[in-house]
Amino acid sequence: MAGKKNAVGSKAFPTEYTVTNALKKGDLVTKLSAVIFGLGNLVHGQIIKGLIFLAAEIAYIIYMVSFGVGQLSLLPSLGHIKDQQQIFNEETQLFEYVQPDNSMLILLYSVITLFLTAALILVLRASLKSAYEAQYRKANNMTIPSFKEDIAIAFDKKLHRTLLSLPCLGIVLFTIMPLVFMILMAFTDYDRTNKDNTFDWVGLVNFKKVLDFGGEFGKTFWPVLGWTIIWAIFATLLNYIFGMILALTINRKDVKYKSFWRFCFILSVAIPQFVSLLAINQMLQSPSGALNVLLQDMGFLETPYQFFGSAQNPLSARVLVIIVNLWVGIPYTLLTTTGILQNIPAELYESAKVDGANPFVTFVKITLPYMLFVTAPSLIQSFIGNINNFNVIFLLTGGAPATSEYYKSTAGKTDLLVTWLYKLTIDNQDYSYGAVIGILVFIISITFSLTVYRRTGSYKNEEGFQ
Amino acid sequence: MSYNMMDYRKKYQIIVPVLSLLALVFLFFPFVSKGDYSMSLFSLFLASIGMDGNTLAAATIKNYSLTKLIFILPVILLVVSAILPFVAHKKSSYHITDIALVISLACHFLIMVSICKKVNATGLLGSKFYVKNFQFTFWIEAILLFVALFQSFKATKSSIVHIILAVLSIIWVSPILWVIMTSFRGETGSYFTSFWPTKWTLSNYTRLFTETDIFNFPRWFLNTFIIACFSCIISSFYVLAVSFSMSRMRFKMRKPFMNIALILGMFPGFMSMIAIYYILKGVGLTEGVLKMVSLVLVYSGGAGLGFYIAKGFFDTIPKSIDEAASIDGATKFQIFWQITIPLSKPIIVYTLVTSFMGPWLDFIFCRVIAGTDAKYFTVAVGLWNMLTKENIQAFYTRFFAGAVLVSIPISILFIATQKYYSDGLSGAVKG
Repeated sequence: MAGKKNAVGSKAFPTEYTVTNALKKGDLVTKLSAVIFGLGNLVHGQIIKGLIFLAAEIAYIIYMVSFGVGQLSLLPSLGHIKDQQQIFNEETQLFEYVQPDNSMLILLYSVITLFLTAALILVLRASLKSAYEAQYRKANNMTIPSFKEDIAIAFDKKLHRTLLSLPCLGIVLFTIMPLVFMILMAFTDYDRTNKDNTFDWVGLVNFKKVLDFGGEFGKTFWPVLGWTIIWAIFATLLNYIFGMILALTINRKDVKYKSFWRFCFILSVAIPQFVSLLAINQMLQSPSGALNVLLQDMGFLETPYQFFGSAQNPLSARVLVIIVNLWVGIPYTLLTTTGILQNIPAELYESAKVDGANPFVTFVKITLPYMLFVTAPSLIQSFIGNINNFNVIFLLTGGAPATSEYYKSTAGKTDLLVTWLYKLTIDNQDYSYGAVIGILVFIISITFSLTVYRRTGSYKNEEGFQ
Repeated sequence: MSYNMMDYRKKYQIIVPVLSLLALVFLFFPFVSKGDYSMSLFSLFLASIGMDGNTLAAATIKNYSLTKLIFILPVILLVVSAILPFVAHKKSSYHITDIALVISLACHFLIMVSICKKVNATGLLGSKFYVKNFQFTFWIEAILLFVALFQSFKATKSSIVHIILAVLSIIWVSPILWVIMTSFRGETGSYFTSFWPTKWTLSNYTRLFTETDIFNFPRWFLNTFIIACFSCIISSFYVLAVSFSMSRMRFKMRKPFMNIALILGMFPGFMSMIAIYYILKGVGLTEGVLKMVSLVLVYSGGAGLGFYIAKGFFDTIPKSIDEAASIDGATKFQIFWQITIPLSKPIIVYTLVTSFMGPWLDFIFCRVIAGTDAKYFTVAVGLWNMLTKENIQAFYTRFFAGAVLVSIPISILFIATQKYYSDGLSGAVKG
């Protein structure tokens, strides 16, 4: 007991004031703080702090009574009125049109209400802890901090809370809440057929539809997934290897004007992607694109070449996006690996030279293993980044060549899952399917990164190259 | 090494002249031949210096708009590079041979890319002539030259790599040059029959600023600038606050927070975009000027998740500095504000610039939130709209002018902060 008291007294472990302790060891006032927020603080003279807790509780209760409960009660059904109805009004003796419930708004406000409730639980915990601390300090004849002192603590020992509060609020509002909203959408039947934002829960039906091999959706999902993975592998590995070779080449001792060469390549990274990729898209158009005009001018081509292929022959378009992505990606690799390459111990190369290894062997046996060891995590990241590489596909081909094989022609042959997701949600209002695809992309990304990361050298053997 | 060097030079004295002489021989074979007409590089050479080549060569030269030097130079230079290795033994002569070979190779390339049109323009051949109709002698000569070039590079120990790098750089820079060229194009429409502009003009730039009734480029620029400034300030604060907390403070939620950040990063970024749009709409932030407020919120809201690079930087600042300050009675906030921040100039510049650039580069969020209201477009969405089917005919060249205007400040910022980026990765205090 003495030790514990000491720990609390030394202020080193403020976490000793826990909720369980408060409920177990707190007096009546402390326990009542769980019902009337801030009571403990008010009783012990921390007026402002107590009032803030109380105000939060009152605001929440007012919100819930006036609005929140109503929305939450509609959540299980997402609105009772599904179609526009004609209802006979007894009082006015007239038929009135009743608009269907807006399920979208019900879902949205319910999610907001749930998040507010979660926030209230946090306030509840804070209130309990704070009340218990005040009680404890009073019992042990320690000073109870005034509001001013509390603020001082917020800028010292509890600085992380102060610093993190706003960023966390931003993350919850603009990342987590929308994500929860969208994930819930995957379990509804909200697609292009729903007028007036009215929809219902359907459970896992959408997942079944998307994953079903023979179904209308499955026939799109699996080929698009296949291409997404092929794309990600090629885009990641080719950029990585060629970028590294380029970096090694520029790093060679006999190369002059190193910074000039680097500048030439890095210029393409510096230009905004929507400029460079749209420009390349325009250059490759057929028949009016600059490359076609140039090649015909020069006499290489007799008729314009279809760079973006056709629905029957998507290979040309697919190869094209991978090649253009080299243009985008190699300078990135150059940028990120130049420094690391210079850190490879020179002795390794010298001994390889003594052994008579040629540049290829040196690259495969020394450079590549070293770089894989150091950059494995970032390689995984860039693989995930390529699965989600929206810009290159959207700006370069827009998914073309379009094909009617895919679900309602929403996807083209170079569409990745993410660009398909974009087209489903933004262009076609197929929100539920879009959400399912988003979740599946997430599952693929996280399984891949977890399994691969555990196999990498830098995870298994941190001392490997030291 | 010096032994190797001598060896190379001896070999080189034989190899390069032989190759060059062989290439010279092939100059006399016709590389265009069809029906009654044929023409060799040598006949073109004769025609260009005013002597009697043959009918086709004379007709070709007549409407040749580029300088006729490109037919004279390769022949002269080939002769020079074949003779020089015998005459001179000093190292400097090798450089002359190198230059001679490079120039004649370049000339061959120019001939290749320009001659078809001119030959066709003579109208003598009947049907059209393409590069693929070149006789094999032309290719043999080009290959011989190329090999000779490589050999001489090897001999003088100047790296062949330079040639490869030069070719690659041209590939990498050419789309950018093309954008600049198109922005100065005088023709209208989006379909040009020639690669090179026939008219040059500045009006694409001036019209962006004067004809603002449909697409108001200056306004987009201002919109983006305002949004970028606000979101830059907010998100830099978020990033620095989170990364300082993660790096310097120890608290219960630290690890969970970092894991959550990782997991959130795995969701496709704009999966939630529609949801964000409806949330903002629900709050009433999608009308009029408020669109810009919501864009600032969207760009900076989740910025706290991108703390990894800055955290890595803060990790490299020795803890002992903090402890020393702490003993002197500094609060954590004073350590953050008066010690860590002044020590972190590189990463602060990096954070500021990357978050400033965000709104200039993004067009997905803006497209969803700004909708079709061209008044509140950012430059990216606005320019993107210039290339849609309805607008492309009228705005094609102006798109490129606008693209150049946006790219210049963005690339300057990017390249200027590269130093800070690598400094940021390597840490504050160097060993």
